[in-house]
Amino acid sequence: MPRIRNTIRELRAAREMTQQQLADRIDLTRQTVIAIEGDKYSPSLETAFRIAQVFGVPLEQVFQYEGKGKR
Amino acid sequence: MSSLSYQERSLYGELLADLAVFVPYFVLIHTGHPSVAFIAGSITILIVAQIVLQSIIAIATRNRLKDERDRLIALRGYRAGYFTVVSLMLVGMGLLWMHSMHDQLNAGHMGLHFLSVFFAVLMLAEVVKTVAQLIAYRRPL
Repeated sequence: MPRIRNTIRELRAAREMTQQQLADRIDLTRQTVIAIEGDKYSPSLETAFRIAQVFGVPLEQVFQYEGKGKR
Repeated sequence: MSSLSYQERSLYGELLADLAVFVPYFVLIHTGHPSVAFIAGSITILIVAQIVLQSIIAIATRNRLKDERDRLIALRGYRAGYFTVVSLMLVGMGLLWMHSMHDQLNAGHMGLHFLSVFFAVLMLAEVVKTVAQLIAYRRPL
């Protein structure tokens, strides 16, 4: 099963940001931030970019795709 | 309850109102013949119960934001509800046809029987939709 991992929890902790603060900045509910952090929900591309923008890092530093590539 | 989002609370309220009306309706419909007043009364009680419960939940919840995950879960719920409507409607229409073939239905009350089946199918589909959404909130998407 292809999986998208993320480092949101670590990035948030480094900036002392709460889940609610992150949720407010990207117009998500706290429950959705919890689901994303727990790899239970893969956000839309737009939301993924907005999360990366909030942390000021490239997208691939926030999200990593661990599925098998197909050529 | 504090860990639940507004959408989840709203769904639990919806389910509570649906079951509070549908369970007595389902029990009572089997004890006697359905009447238009009984079905109309059930629909009215359901609407009033939904308005009251949803108002209480809205007042009690400060953050009523709906995001992309909520919309995705809502779509999944509607898909489950749609398949329920289609499946049960076929079964219900088939049963009505079978009963009418065996003269077990009063032809004068056919419209009422259709209304009764239609209401039951809609209620069951509503419950399936709500339960599917509540499960989706607790499982990985």
